[in-house]
Amino acid sequence: MADLKEARVPDLGGSSEVPVIELLVKVGDTVKKDQGLITLESDKATMEVPSAFAGVVRDIKVKLGDQLSEGALVAIIETTEAPALAATAATPAAPAAPAAPAATPVATKVAPAAESALAHTHDATQLVGTALPYASPAVRLFARELGVDLGKVSGTARGGRINKDDVQNYVKATLAKPALATAVGTGSGLNLLSWPNVDFSKFGAIESKPLSRIKKISGANLARNWAMIPHVTQFDEVDIGVLEEFRVALNKENEKSGEKSGIKLTLLAFLIKASVAALKKFPEFNASLDGDNLILKQYYHIGFAADTPNGLVVPVIRDVDQKGLLAIAEEMASLSKSARDGKLQPAQMQGGCFSISSLGGIGGTAFTPIINAPEVAILGVSKGEMKPKWDGSQFQPRLMLPLSLSYDHRVIDGAAAARFITYLGQLLADMRRVLL
Amino acid sequence: MSNLIDIKVPDIGDFHDVPVIEIHVRPGQRIAAEALLLTLESDKATLDVPAPVGGVVKELRVKVGDKVAQGHLIAILETDATDASVAAAAPSPPAAPVAPAAVVAAAAPPAGNLSPDAADLLVLGGGPGGYSAAFRAADLGLKVVLVERYPTLGGVCLNVGCIPSKALLHVAAVIEEAQQGQNFGVHFAAPQIDLDRLRAHKEQVVGKLTQGLAGMAKARKVTVVQGTGQFVDAHHLSVTTDGGEQTIAFRQAIIAAGSEAVRLPFLPEDPRIVTSTGALKLPCVPQHMLVIGGGIIGLEMATVYSALGARVSVVEMTDGLMPGVDRDLVKIFEKRNASRFEQVMLKTRVTAVEARSEGLRVHFEGEQAPVQPQDYDFILVSAGRAPNGKKIGAGQAGVVVDERGFIPVDRQQRTNVSHVFAIGDIVGQPMLAHKAVHEAHVAAEAAAGQKSFFDARVIPAVAYTHPEIAWVGLTETQAKSAGVAVEKGLFPWAASGRAIANEAEYGVTKLLFDAATQRIVGGAIVGPGAGDMIGEIALAIEMGADALDIGKTIHPHPTLGETIGLAAEAAHGSCTDLPPQRKKQP
Repeated sequence: MADLKEARVPDLGGSSEVPVIELLVKVGDTVKKDQGLITLESDKATMEVPSAFAGVVRDIKVKLGDQLSEGALVAIIETTEAPALAATAATPAAPAAPAAPAATPVATKVAPAAESALAHTHDATQLVGTALPYASPAVRLFARELGVDLGKVSGTARGGRINKDDVQNYVKATLAKPALATAVGTGSGLNLLSWPNVDFSKFGAIESKPLSRIKKISGANLARNWAMIPHVTQFDEVDIGVLEEFRVALNKENEKSGEKSGIKLTLLAFLIKASVAALKKFPEFNASLDGDNLILKQYYHIGFAADTPNGLVVPVIRDVDQKGLLAIAEEMASLSKSARDGKLQPAQMQGGCFSISSLGGIGGTAFTPIINAPEVAILGVSKGEMKPKWDGSQFQPRLMLPLSLSYDHRVIDGAAAARFITYLGQLLADMRRVLL
Repeated sequence: MSNLIDIKVPDIGDFHDVPVIEIHVRPGQRIAAEALLLTLESDKATLDVPAPVGGVVKELRVKVGDKVAQGHLIAILETDATDASVAAAAPSPPAAPVAPAAVVAAAAPPAGNLSPDAADLLVLGGGPGGYSAAFRAADLGLKVVLVERYPTLGGVCLNVGCIPSKALLHVAAVIEEAQQGQNFGVHFAAPQIDLDRLRAHKEQVVGKLTQGLAGMAKARKVTVVQGTGQFVDAHHLSVTTDGGEQTIAFRQAIIAAGSEAVRLPFLPEDPRIVTSTGALKLPCVPQHMLVIGGGIIGLEMATVYSALGARVSVVEMTDGLMPGVDRDLVKIFEKRNASRFEQVMLKTRVTAVEARSEGLRVHFEGEQAPVQPQDYDFILVSAGRAPNGKKIGAGQAGVVVDERGFIPVDRQQRTNVSHVFAIGDIVGQPMLAHKAVHEAHVAAEAAAGQKSFFDARVIPAVAYTHPEIAWVGLTETQAKSAGVAVEKGLFPWAASGRAIANEAEYGVTKLLFDAATQRIVGGAIVGPGAGDMIGEIALAIEMGADALDIGKTIHPHPTLGETIGLAAEAAHGSCTDLPPQRKKQP
């Protein structure tokens, strides 16, 4: 028994109004369950909307450029399987077997089965102590109506009891905070001048072009990180002559043996591996600020900045400490390709501990990379260059790589940064030290 | 007759040209009063614009990005006047339960779109939780369909639970108080019990309440459908009624399908083996009765049957009667009821029952098991209640049901499917009607777009035994095992004039206070009327009262309720009705 089903956009993890960038099927196509129907491009990633059913595409309800949110109708699929109801609840006497009605346009929000947020417990031991705010049922209701977290309201009535006025005053105080604070969401107003409003066309011909979605998102992040983190950048040059010989030799070997064909070891792969060794030695670099606490991470996920036609993205290689150089190089190559194709998944850009931004392929002597919050440091890599180095009796030509380490001065002291970059230099000069 | 009204942006303060950032309704959608229409974002805050009345959105006059100010036309709404007249025009034939507009015939489910006739809210189950949810939602302007499998509303509580058992317990108390008359020189003849008349009395009590409910449903224009419901998908419920099957389309739903008594698989099918439902039917007054399970339900029925003349034995698997209640309270119950029971077998279980014509032969095993199998002529199985989560096709609607049959919900009673709520026994312990009703109001209000949450801190519980035991909040046992510091105020009723006058000097009132803040966190009462008095302690906990607040509140003298004030004074060290206390007082 055939049945028409509606394929809809699933939970987008908080994104909405996501543009359709590709249609993967056309009317009449046969699709399998979980086969992609369309591709959406969100903030940073692209994702496919899979079909929840196997069947034949009868109608496609979206076109390129449409902006979709969770629950939007994507396509009508004629399923090949009998609907569950007809299979189980056959009632021959009834006037007509109830046909499974098509899903309705009322948005259905379904949380995953293992949703732990569903916890409705009655634990009487919480009554003791300060776990619960000191407020009567009517005040709790009033706070709910205004969306106020009573845990943040201080009570002025006897014994610190929160009364209705306290909730009202809290709301008034919150609304009275400067608009900028709410916009940035920090609660710390910067009192900046407003942005200069200039009619550029007065000065010559211009063209106005919208920023790409990635630029807009990363721009807001970069502005926050630059404004909120006290950055200091430490520069150094390290001798990578031996490392470079080793790398070139290895690549030649690989080419000859034909093994792992296609995998070329890049300098960045060595930098990633060496960074992890340095993070292990200086754990405060593998950390994040959480209020008054420092979260020290016991995992080593390294992000690397990748330039794409649409803007800058930072894919993350997980558990670098457990991976060899070839595996790292291979993963980097595939992540870079996904990034260029705009196919990175959000999960592939999360969880980073430390980032590396390499402009060595292009040029430059040094730059000041912006920390990728909530990380606390980032390593910038510029172009390696032959330089004369005094060995005590004469100048030697050495291949020197310029490094720029930006760090969050709230977490890391200048001396620690100098030690970190020096240690990193020692590792790169002699990668055998990574084994130690 | 339809009534079109313009909805305009209300007074939003000193804001002009505020952009619309979100629209929450679509043309054709039915909305309740106070439902969200738009979200505006000014430079300082986001503002929600609610609908002033309920109805169907006919036309939207704004789109996202429009800039609006006070008085700007948002939408045209057809108000609910039409629907009221439709529902009021329900046909009169007395035969099958009427299925007006909201109920869509099985043969014609709307394709693609939810019919405008679909119910705003479907409530599955007509117990205290279910009917409270339906009535509250109807009062808030939603079109409600209530599906109940039995012919009367009220569920277990009204029909086969709280209410009929209380009718019988009242009769049991009358019998036993009359017997005690001899202690003070008033002699009554031994009672003559007319079981048919007693049964009729109980049914009359139940009948008054269920009829009242049917009337209240009608007055609120709640459509009641009698039948067994099964979800078909997240917006349709199929109901098997006497007249065949019908499918009900709904926009939101509240699952209130309750629980049922656990059956023990090894017991034979026999009319002499019953659950609480069967026991409340009063089929006979047995000579020897066995109650399996020493919880509240079992002990309440044991009280009724022993007052009527049965010799009752209780078998309980754990090491005490009434698990979860503080032992000092249970001890008082045990002492007062020692003569009631033939045998109380703790840490003991039933392994087999042979149904013989001359009696039910029961084999026991455990610490206090009799060596020989025992014969009884009536067995009540009160070994707990199991939720009905697996019987309603919840999976078809995408609703998660755990392995025991409970449906997990958040503090708004929403299941994992956000437009489907669940309340009462089916969402977890404690399985109590007053908890279900409170949850019902939360769910109904949330379904109507209000920001209601289950924020109550305590749920009182009462065993309507003789004597009654009532408790709320933290128990002493819990405080001990969780290692939290509490101070106790204990007032023995032996020091209460009224308790002595009422022959209740065995009673006790106990209050527990947070040692740090002095705020009350729990309390318990044993004695006549305990259940009627526990509400004061629940209120004190919710209000965060401390020992002085309670002690300095003048309680009337001489009453049993006075003991609550006296217990608070005892905690504070200022009680003059007790021997001098060593405790310091500030």
